[in-house]
Amino acid sequence: MGLVQRAVESAGISTVGITLQKTVTERVRPPRAVFLRYPFGHPMGEAFARAQQAAILEDLLRTLETAGPGAIVEPGYAWKRHRFA
Amino acid sequence: MARLSNRVAVQLFRRLPWLAELWAARRSFVEGRGIPWAPLRRPLAQSRVALVTTAGVHVAADTPFDMRDRDGDPSFRVIPSETPAQALTITHDYYDHSAADRDINVVLPIDRLREAHAAGRVGGLGPRIYSFMGHVDGPHIRTLLDVTAPQVARRLVEDGVDAAVMTPA
Repeated sequence: MGLVQRAVESAGISTVGITLQKTVTERVRPPRAVFLRYPFGHPMGEAFARAQQAAILEDLLRTLETAGPGAIVEPGYAWKRHRFA
Repeated sequence: MARLSNRVAVQLFRRLPWLAELWAARRSFVEGRGIPWAPLRRPLAQSRVALVTTAGVHVAADTPFDMRDRDGDPSFRVIPSETPAQALTITHDYYDHSAADRDINVVLPIDRLREAHAAGRVGGLGPRIYSFMGHVDGPHIRTLLDVTAPQVARRLVEDGVDAAVMTPA
């Protein structure tokens, strides 16, 4: 996914992506990433967990607004343990 | 047979998360040289934001991604932004998408982005969502890099998009 992200950013569009694998992201080097220690298949969290999904989207939007080149932001939400409002 | 062994691998990766790190450490990736950078042109409340995913999502009536080719499928599908979530499906044997099958927002936050738009957090939605199937290997990596990823980038520019939110599988 980082490769697609790099191509889109190169066309002049600001991009942010979720990563579930920091090792890969550190090597592919997308412009902005939000890293979650979540299982594959759950980049936005759990099914029907609106507050969780909204919080992650807000983290992505804020990263677009504030992060510098190569930033990997880590909200640190523990899988199935973090309480979202 | 290949699809069966994929299913076994998917379950192993689900149950043993550390396998993913081991897999990543042993695999080679297209490493990035430098970091492309396009700062936000205007505040998000005035920006048009698009979704791009590599989770294998597509309109159910559309051609599925190729699950027969061991090297994956570097093509992409176009999803009109107003498509209701129920009209979408996932073709991707390389991860467990049972949660996303029940709620597509687990891999593609389409309803959450609509809410952010309704709340004025973002100015607008891209007219189209672009979707890849994240398993791309062998010769298809070149196709992705040289053909399909740049095609999507150009289409997003034509769509008048200021920013893209990208979600993996």
